[in-house]
Amino acid sequence: MNGPHDLGGAHGFGPVVAEENEPVFHADWEKRAFALVMAMGHAAAWHIDTSRHARERTPPAEYLASSYYQIWLAGLERLLVEHGLVSEEEIAAGKSLTPPAKLAAAPADGLVEKLMASSSYERAAPAPARFKAGDPVRARVMNPAGHTRLPRYVRGRTGTIAAIRGCHVFPDAHCGTDNEDPHWLYSVAFAADEVWGPQGRVGDEIYLDLWEPHLEPA
Amino acid sequence: PVWYKAPPYRARAVADPRGVLADFGVTLPEETAIRVWDSTAEIRYLVVPMRPAGTEDWSEDRLASLVTRNAMIGTGLALPPEEAA
Repeated sequence: MNGPHDLGGAHGFGPVVAEENEPVFHADWEKRAFALVMAMGHAAAWHIDTSRHARERTPPAEYLASSYYQIWLAGLERLLVEHGLVSEEEIAAGKSLTPPAKLAAAPADGLVEKLMASSSYERAAPAPARFKAGDPVRARVMNPAGHTRLPRYVRGRTGTIAAIRGCHVFPDAHCGTDNEDPHWLYSVAFAADEVWGPQGRVGDEIYLDLWEPHLEPA
Repeated sequence: PVWYKAPPYRARAVADPRGVLADFGVTLPEETAIRVWDSTAEIRYLVVPMRPAGTEDWSEDRLASLVTRNAMIGTGLALPPEEAA
Protein backbone atom coordinates (compact mmCIF):
# COMPACT_ATOMS: atom_id res chain seq x y z
CA MET A 1 0.00 0.00 0.00
CA ASN A 2 1.13 3.59 -0.54
CA GLY A 3 1.00 4.13 3.18
CA PRO A 4 2.77 6.50 5.57
CA HIS A 5 5.59 4.00 6.03
CA ASP A 6 6.66 4.28 2.38
CA LEU A 7 8.86 7.26 3.02
CA GLY A 8 11.81 6.91 0.64
CA GLY A 9 12.33 10.24 -1.09
CA ALA A 10 9.77 12.18 0.96
CA HIS A 11 10.62 15.81 1.76
CA GLY A 12 9.94 18.04 4.72
CA PHE A 13 10.89 15.85 7.65
CA GLY A 14 13.95 17.84 8.57
CA PRO A 15 17.41 16.72 9.72
CA VAL A 16 18.30 13.42 11.31
CA VAL A 17 18.65 14.09 15.03
CA ALA A 18 20.55 11.52 17.05
CA GLU A 19 20.17 11.40 20.84
CA GLU A 20 23.44 11.05 22.75
CA ASN A 21 23.69 7.87 24.85
CA GLU A 22 20.18 6.95 23.87
CA PRO A 23 18.50 4.30 26.07
CA VAL A 24 17.06 1.21 24.38
CA PHE A 25 13.62 2.11 25.73
CA HIS A 26 12.54 5.63 26.65
CA ALA A 27 9.74 4.60 29.01
CA ASP A 28 8.48 1.46 30.73
CA TRP A 29 5.43 1.30 28.48
CA GLU A 30 7.74 0.88 25.47
CA LYS A 31 9.22 -2.24 27.04
CA ARG A 32 5.71 -3.64 27.59
CA ALA A 33 4.62 -2.73 24.06
CA PHE A 34 7.66 -4.51 22.63
CA ALA A 35 7.10 -7.56 24.87
CA LEU A 36 3.38 -7.73 24.01
CA VAL A 37 4.10 -7.69 20.27
CA MET A 38 6.78 -10.37 20.66
CA ALA A 39 4.51 -12.49 22.90
CA MET A 40 1.72 -12.35 20.32
CA GLY A 41 4.23 -13.76 17.85
CA HIS A 42 4.35 -16.85 20.06
CA ALA A 43 0.57 -17.00 20.12
CA ALA A 44 0.77 -17.47 16.35
CA ALA A 45 -2.43 -15.51 15.82
CA TRP A 46 -0.70 -13.73 12.92
CA HIS A 47 2.77 -13.49 11.37
CA ILE A 48 5.32 -10.78 10.70
CA ASP A 49 3.99 -9.71 7.31
CA THR A 50 0.50 -9.25 8.73
CA SER A 51 2.01 -7.36 11.68
CA ARG A 52 3.96 -5.03 9.44
CA HIS A 53 0.89 -4.29 7.29
CA ALA A 54 -1.17 -3.57 10.40
CA ARG A 55 1.30 -0.80 11.29
CA GLU A 56 1.23 0.55 7.74
CA ARG A 57 -2.56 0.80 7.96
CA THR A 58 -2.32 3.34 10.77
CA PRO A 59 -3.87 6.53 9.34
CA PRO A 60 -1.06 8.71 7.95
CA ALA A 61 -1.57 11.73 10.19
CA GLU A 62 -1.48 9.45 13.26
CA TYR A 63 1.46 7.39 11.97
CA LEU A 64 3.68 10.37 11.22
CA ALA A 65 2.95 11.93 14.62
CA SER A 66 3.78 8.67 16.42
CA SER A 67 6.98 7.37 17.91
CA TYR A 68 8.25 3.95 16.87
CA TYR A 69 6.67 2.02 19.74
CA GLN A 70 3.45 4.00 19.45
CA ILE A 71 3.26 2.64 15.91
CA TRP A 72 3.94 -0.89 17.20
CA LEU A 73 1.17 -0.51 19.78
CA ALA A 74 -1.27 0.88 17.21
CA GLY A 75 -0.60 -2.09 14.93
CA LEU A 76 -1.01 -4.53 17.80
CA GLU A 77 -4.32 -2.99 18.90
CA ARG A 78 -5.57 -3.05 15.31
CA LEU A 79 -4.84 -6.77 14.97
CA LEU A 80 -6.21 -7.69 18.42
CA VAL A 81 -9.52 -6.01 17.58
CA GLU A 82 -9.68 -7.41 14.03
CA HIS A 83 -9.05 -10.92 15.36
CA GLY A 84 -11.72 -10.54 18.03
CA LEU A 85 -9.22 -11.02 20.86
CA VAL A 86 -9.78 -7.61 22.41
CA SER A 87 -12.72 -5.24 21.90
CA GLU A 88 -12.63 -1.49 21.29
CA GLU A 89 -14.48 -1.10 24.60
CA GLU A 90 -11.73 -3.03 26.42
CA ILE A 91 -9.01 -0.87 24.88
CA ALA A 92 -10.89 2.25 25.94
CA ALA A 93 -11.49 0.83 29.42
CA GLY A 94 -7.88 -0.31 29.74
CA LYS A 95 -8.92 -3.67 31.12
CA SER A 96 -10.48 -6.98 30.21
CA LEU A 97 -14.30 -6.93 30.16
CA THR A 98 -14.93 -10.49 28.94
CA PRO A 99 -13.24 -13.83 29.59
CA PRO A 100 -9.93 -14.09 27.68
CA ALA A 101 -9.58 -16.16 24.53
CA LYS A 102 -7.34 -19.22 24.70
CA LEU A 103 -4.09 -18.89 22.76
CA ALA A 104 -0.91 -20.95 22.65
CA ALA A 105 0.41 -21.82 26.11
CA ALA A 106 3.79 -20.45 27.09
CA PRO A 107 6.51 -23.10 27.57
CA ALA A 108 7.81 -23.75 31.10
CA ASP A 109 11.00 -21.84 30.31
CA GLY A 110 13.02 -20.45 27.44
CA LEU A 111 10.15 -18.31 26.14
CA VAL A 112 12.17 -15.09 25.90
CA GLU A 113 15.00 -16.87 24.09
CA LYS A 114 12.51 -18.46 21.72
CA LEU A 115 10.79 -15.15 21.00
CA MET A 116 14.08 -13.32 20.43
CA ALA A 117 15.51 -15.99 18.11
CA SER A 118 15.36 -14.77 14.55
CA SER A 119 13.45 -16.83 12.03
CA SER A 120 14.55 -17.87 8.59
CA TYR A 121 12.19 -16.98 5.80
CA GLU A 122 14.09 -18.96 3.20
CA ARG A 123 12.05 -21.69 1.46
CA ALA A 124 12.33 -24.24 -1.31
CA ALA A 125 12.42 -22.78 -4.82
CA PRO A 126 9.18 -23.10 -6.81
CA ALA A 127 11.06 -22.83 -10.13
CA PRO A 128 14.53 -21.84 -11.40
CA ALA A 129 15.52 -18.23 -10.90
CA ARG A 130 14.43 -16.03 -13.78
CA PHE A 131 17.30 -13.55 -13.40
CA LYS A 132 21.03 -13.77 -12.79
CA ALA A 133 23.61 -11.29 -11.54
CA GLY A 134 24.23 -8.57 -14.10
CA ASP A 135 20.80 -8.79 -15.74
CA PRO A 136 19.10 -5.45 -16.38
CA VAL A 137 15.64 -5.41 -14.78
CA ARG A 138 12.82 -2.96 -14.29
CA ALA A 139 10.86 -2.66 -11.08
CA ARG A 140 7.25 -3.13 -12.19
CA VAL A 141 4.79 -0.28 -12.23
CA MET A 142 2.04 -1.30 -9.84
CA ASN A 143 -0.15 0.40 -7.27
CA PRO A 144 -1.41 -2.27 -4.87
CA ALA A 145 -3.70 -1.18 -2.04
CA GLY A 146 -2.54 -4.20 -0.05
CA HIS A 147 0.84 -5.01 1.42
CA THR A 148 3.90 -4.83 -0.81
CA ARG A 149 7.63 -4.55 -0.15
CA LEU A 150 8.18 -2.65 -3.40
CA PRO A 151 8.56 1.03 -2.47
CA ARG A 152 6.99 3.67 -4.68
CA TYR A 153 10.29 5.41 -5.35
CA VAL A 154 11.67 2.60 -7.57
CA ARG A 155 8.52 1.49 -9.40
CA GLY A 156 9.18 1.73 -13.13
CA ARG A 157 12.92 2.30 -12.62
CA THR A 158 15.59 0.22 -14.33
CA GLY A 159 18.35 -1.42 -12.33
CA THR A 160 20.78 -4.33 -12.42
CA ILE A 161 20.65 -7.62 -10.52
CA ALA A 162 23.52 -7.43 -8.03
CA ALA A 163 23.01 -10.78 -6.26
CA ILE A 164 20.56 -13.64 -5.89
CA ARG A 165 19.50 -14.17 -2.26
CA GLY A 166 17.64 -17.48 -2.53
CA CYS A 167 13.91 -18.09 -2.28
CA HIS A 168 12.00 -16.43 0.49
CA VAL A 169 8.46 -16.11 1.81
CA PHE A 170 6.78 -13.47 -0.37
CA PRO A 171 5.23 -10.80 1.91
CA ASP A 172 2.93 -9.34 -0.75
CA ALA A 173 1.08 -12.69 -0.91
CA HIS A 174 1.69 -13.85 2.67
CA CYS A 175 0.15 -10.82 4.38
CA GLY A 176 -3.18 -11.80 5.91
CA THR A 177 -2.96 -15.39 4.62
CA ASP A 178 -1.21 -18.71 5.28
CA ASN A 179 0.14 -18.71 1.74
CA GLU A 180 3.93 -18.23 1.93
CA ASP A 181 4.19 -18.22 -1.89
CA PRO A 182 8.01 -18.25 -1.90
CA HIS A 183 9.80 -16.50 -4.74
CA TRP A 184 13.37 -15.73 -5.70
CA LEU A 185 14.75 -12.67 -3.90
CA TYR A 186 17.32 -10.40 -5.55
CA SER A 187 19.47 -7.49 -4.47
CA VAL A 188 18.95 -4.95 -7.26
CA ALA A 189 21.19 -1.91 -7.81
CA PHE A 190 19.60 1.30 -9.06
CA ALA A 191 21.64 4.30 -10.17
CA ALA A 192 20.75 7.35 -8.06
CA ASP A 193 20.22 9.54 -11.12
CA GLU A 194 17.95 6.89 -12.68
CA VAL A 195 15.74 7.06 -9.57
CA TRP A 196 15.90 10.78 -8.73
CA GLY A 197 16.85 12.39 -12.05
CA PRO A 198 18.92 15.56 -11.71
CA GLN A 199 18.61 15.39 -7.92
CA GLY A 200 20.38 12.01 -7.86
CA ARG A 201 24.16 12.06 -7.68
CA VAL A 202 25.86 10.32 -10.63
CA GLY A 203 27.90 7.41 -9.30
CA ASP A 204 25.73 6.80 -6.22
CA GLU A 205 23.51 3.72 -6.10
CA ILE A 206 20.55 2.42 -4.11
CA TYR A 207 20.29 -1.33 -3.47
CA LEU A 208 16.91 -2.90 -2.73
CA ASP A 209 15.95 -6.50 -2.02
CA LEU A 210 13.09 -7.28 -4.40
CA TRP A 211 11.23 -10.48 -5.21
CA GLU A 212 10.85 -11.86 -8.71
CA PRO A 213 7.18 -10.78 -9.03
CA HIS A 214 8.37 -7.19 -8.46
CA LEU A 215 10.66 -7.33 -11.50
CA GLU A 216 10.51 -7.67 -15.27
CA PRO A 217 13.35 -7.83 -17.81
CA ALA A 218 14.52 -4.42 -18.92
CA PRO B 1 18.52 3.71 17.52
CA VAL B 2 15.42 5.89 17.32
CA TRP B 3 16.80 8.01 14.48
CA TYR B 4 17.20 4.89 12.30
CA LYS B 5 13.47 4.18 12.57
CA ALA B 6 12.17 7.75 12.34
CA PRO B 7 10.88 9.58 9.23
CA PRO B 8 13.81 11.96 8.66
CA TYR B 9 16.28 9.11 8.12
CA ARG B 10 13.82 6.80 6.39
CA ALA B 11 12.89 9.54 3.92
CA ARG B 12 16.35 10.96 3.21
CA ALA B 13 18.83 8.07 3.38
CA VAL B 14 17.87 6.77 -0.07
CA ALA B 15 17.57 10.20 -1.69
CA ASP B 16 20.19 12.37 0.02
CA PRO B 17 22.85 10.21 1.67
CA ARG B 18 25.39 13.04 1.77
CA GLY B 19 22.85 15.23 3.53
CA VAL B 20 22.27 12.47 6.09
CA LEU B 21 26.03 12.06 6.58
CA ALA B 22 26.32 15.82 7.07
CA ASP B 23 23.73 15.54 9.88
CA PHE B 24 26.20 13.13 11.51
CA GLY B 25 29.13 15.47 10.91
CA VAL B 26 30.61 13.22 8.23
CA THR B 27 31.90 14.53 4.91
CA LEU B 28 33.23 12.13 2.32
CA PRO B 29 35.54 13.05 -0.58
CA GLU B 30 33.72 14.26 -3.70
CA GLU B 31 34.87 11.26 -5.70
CA THR B 32 33.49 8.68 -3.21
CA ALA B 33 30.51 6.79 -4.61
CA ILE B 34 27.83 6.06 -2.02
CA ARG B 35 25.71 2.90 -1.99
CA VAL B 36 22.57 2.96 0.14
CA TRP B 37 21.07 -0.42 1.08
CA ASP B 38 17.30 -0.31 1.63
CA SER B 39 16.40 -3.45 3.62
CA THR B 40 13.11 -4.18 1.89
CA ALA B 41 13.21 -7.89 2.79
CA GLU B 42 14.33 -9.74 5.96
CA ILE B 43 18.04 -9.54 5.10
CA ARG B 44 20.01 -7.02 7.16
CA TYR B 45 23.21 -5.36 6.09
CA LEU B 46 26.23 -4.15 8.06
CA VAL B 47 29.06 -1.92 6.96
CA VAL B 48 32.59 -3.15 7.57
CA PRO B 49 34.29 0.18 8.35
CA MET B 50 37.37 1.24 6.43
CA ARG B 51 40.59 0.75 8.35
CA PRO B 52 41.64 4.11 9.80
CA ALA B 53 45.00 5.46 8.67
CA GLY B 54 47.88 4.63 10.99
CA THR B 55 46.50 1.27 12.24
CA GLU B 56 48.16 -1.06 9.76
CA ASP B 57 49.98 -3.03 12.48
CA TRP B 58 47.08 -3.17 14.97
CA SER B 59 45.66 -6.45 16.27
CA GLU B 60 42.04 -7.39 15.72
CA ASP B 61 41.10 -6.55 19.33
CA ARG B 62 42.78 -3.17 19.11
CA LEU B 63 41.03 -2.40 15.82
CA ALA B 64 37.71 -3.43 17.39
CA SER B 65 38.14 -0.59 19.88
CA LEU B 66 37.84 1.86 16.96
CA VAL B 67 34.59 0.43 15.60
CA THR B 68 31.39 2.28 16.49
CA ARG B 69 27.77 1.29 15.98
CA ASN B 70 27.23 4.17 13.55
CA ALA B 71 30.30 3.08 11.56
CA MET B 72 28.63 -0.31 11.10
CA ILE B 73 25.36 1.32 10.01
CA GLY B 74 27.25 3.61 7.64
CA THR B 75 26.48 6.98 9.21
CA GLY B 76 29.90 7.29 10.79
CA LEU B 77 33.52 6.39 10.25
CA ALA B 78 35.62 4.21 12.53
CA LEU B 79 37.46 6.22 15.19
CA PRO B 80 40.96 7.45 14.38
CA PRO B 81 43.73 5.74 16.40
CA GLU B 82 44.08 8.62 18.85
CA GLU B 83 40.40 8.21 19.88
CA ALA B 84 40.50 4.48 20.69
CA ALA B 85 37.80 3.60 23.24
